[in-house]
Amino acid sequence: MTNETKSNTGSVASLELINEVQQFLYREARHHDNEEFRDWLDMLTEDIHYWMPYRYQRYRRNEKEPTIMDTAYYNDDMECLVKRIIRTETGTCWSEDPATRSAHVVTNIEVELTENPDEFRVYSLVTVHRNINEDEEHTMLGHRTDLIRRVNGVLKLAKRKIILDQNIFKNKSLNVYL
Amino acid sequence: MSNKKLESDYSRYMDLKEGWVDRRIFWEQEIYEQELEQIFAKAWQFIAHDSMMPNTNDFYTTYMGEDGVIAARQKDGSVKVFLNSCTHRGNKICYADDGNTRNFTCNYHGWAFGTDGELKGLSNEHVYDEGDIDKSKWGLQQARVDSYKGLIFATFDEEAPSLEEFLGDFRWYLDIMLDQDEGGTEFIGGGIKNYVNANWKFGVENFIGDAYHALWTHDSGFKAMNNNEGFPPADPTDSYHASMNGHGWEFGTDGLADIAILGQPKVLEYYEKIRPKMAERLGEMRSKIFGSLASVSLFPNCSFLPGIQTFRVWLPRGPRKFEMRMWTIVNKNMPDEIKQAINIGCMQTFNPAGVLEMDDGENWEGNTTVNKGVVTRKGKLHYGCGINRRIEHEELPGIVYAGQFNDANQRLFYERWADMMNANKWDDVPTRYTPRYAGKKTV
Repeated sequence: MTNETKSNTGSVASLELINEVQQFLYREARHHDNEEFRDWLDMLTEDIHYWMPYRYQRYRRNEKEPTIMDTAYYNDDMECLVKRIIRTETGTCWSEDPATRSAHVVTNIEVELTENPDEFRVYSLVTVHRNINEDEEHTMLGHRTDLIRRVNGVLKLAKRKIILDQNIFKNKSLNVYL
Repeated sequence: MSNKKLESDYSRYMDLKEGWVDRRIFWEQEIYEQELEQIFAKAWQFIAHDSMMPNTNDFYTTYMGEDGVIAARQKDGSVKVFLNSCTHRGNKICYADDGNTRNFTCNYHGWAFGTDGELKGLSNEHVYDEGDIDKSKWGLQQARVDSYKGLIFATFDEEAPSLEEFLGDFRWYLDIMLDQDEGGTEFIGGGIKNYVNANWKFGVENFIGDAYHALWTHDSGFKAMNNNEGFPPADPTDSYHASMNGHGWEFGTDGLADIAILGQPKVLEYYEKIRPKMAERLGEMRSKIFGSLASVSLFPNCSFLPGIQTFRVWLPRGPRKFEMRMWTIVNKNMPDEIKQAINIGCMQTFNPAGVLEMDDGENWEGNTTVNKGVVTRKGKLHYGCGINRRIEHEELPGIVYAGQFNDANQRLFYERWADMMNANKWDDVPTRYTPRYAGKKTV
């Protein structure tokens, strides 16, 4: 992740902060499941970087970190994300009617303090169960590393890197956010 | 009357004068097996772009039909393509998508093959007596390899015509994408792979000539990328289908529409700047084709969108499933800023999460799965749009039809498909157009 803010490993996040971050992530998941995408956009900072890089299977000796200059499922700033939301609001998004049914399950949440008292590094797992059409079920699992920032007293998502478990993405579409 | 009876003459699965295709070619296992034999074991297929394997011993693994293959860069700069299966008990010898290695060593008994595909050594070789094995005879089966302007192709058929002949006059069109700038092209790093539960031909035929679907299927995605404004009304003026040897390119000539879909104004500006140079290199007509609403497929299973720059293969995984592998193709000489703008715009529109691509897979799965119904799959599908619009064009080679909203390239793809399915040898596969560039350079 192009995440300049270093972890502050000396101190531990308070229970209060952990609780606040958990509630933030659950609320985000609920907005996704309810297709409240404009509410979701409000939870992001203006300089959001939402990134899900490509995945290749490589020998350990050949492993390399993807960069933001490489291929990606998502490599989005706010403008890109707004365009995605516009698609679902056009009234001609045929593949979303009938609507997708999704359940975002967020687990393994870890909160780390950073050098910046208003920024927190947050690790989590998201498991998305997607049910579409008559009977199609897909499960997608993402390992997330977030940078969450307090802006005017409110938590916002500033950066997210999602690493997909699947080498070959096993679905025709990725129409849910991880 | 037997419900199961399949035709042995594959041209009976269509009537291209009436304009229909039989649904069973998108469903039946038996037809699929024949495709593997008659098309994927014979035709030249796209393997990789040169830029994916720049250094000696770089490799990339992929499939020709359902045959797993390894492509590897040799010391002399050439590329070899060989089967990814040990000659001892058959296990895959490479489990990585790409990388760099000196040897491919089988996990089962430790037989080691060089990046040239030759058998180099056996683990615990002393368990073999002298004369048990002649290692020089147990290397990996090699494919024929050739390349066209950065694209590496291979075939397992010794009898196949040269790649140049296989591409034919389609090279004239390919140069619009591959030779618009003297530096040539490269792929952006990495790539996306995903499964779609659809017949592979639905992907190919969509890119070969289906401008029509864009207006309807992609209305929402197009609006998203274009400030909430939809496509302009379908205007067939100065737009065409061109088909040669089953390859097809449908295109307009405004030079703009596909680049605009990227939603990156600086990319439009960049192309406007280089367009005079492009025209000098390729001529006025070809410089206007680039960037217009257009889509392309190479027979049998490789496609791209000039202007949007997505490049992909449709790897068959049975009659009802394919693996899509996709990349972004850019000019080597572009500034990094432009490459990245194309990368972002291309990925936002064309990958499983892309605002246009997301709507395609749903359609193709629907096209395929309905044929589970025995009554359904006895029906025909209509391919008659623009059936009487064939023209001769002074500049455009190949079989040309007027108006890009047309089923011509799809009809001609299925004609080539039937020709190959029926052919006992390559001489039986007819050339159905009059080549203008045989033995000639196209730039």
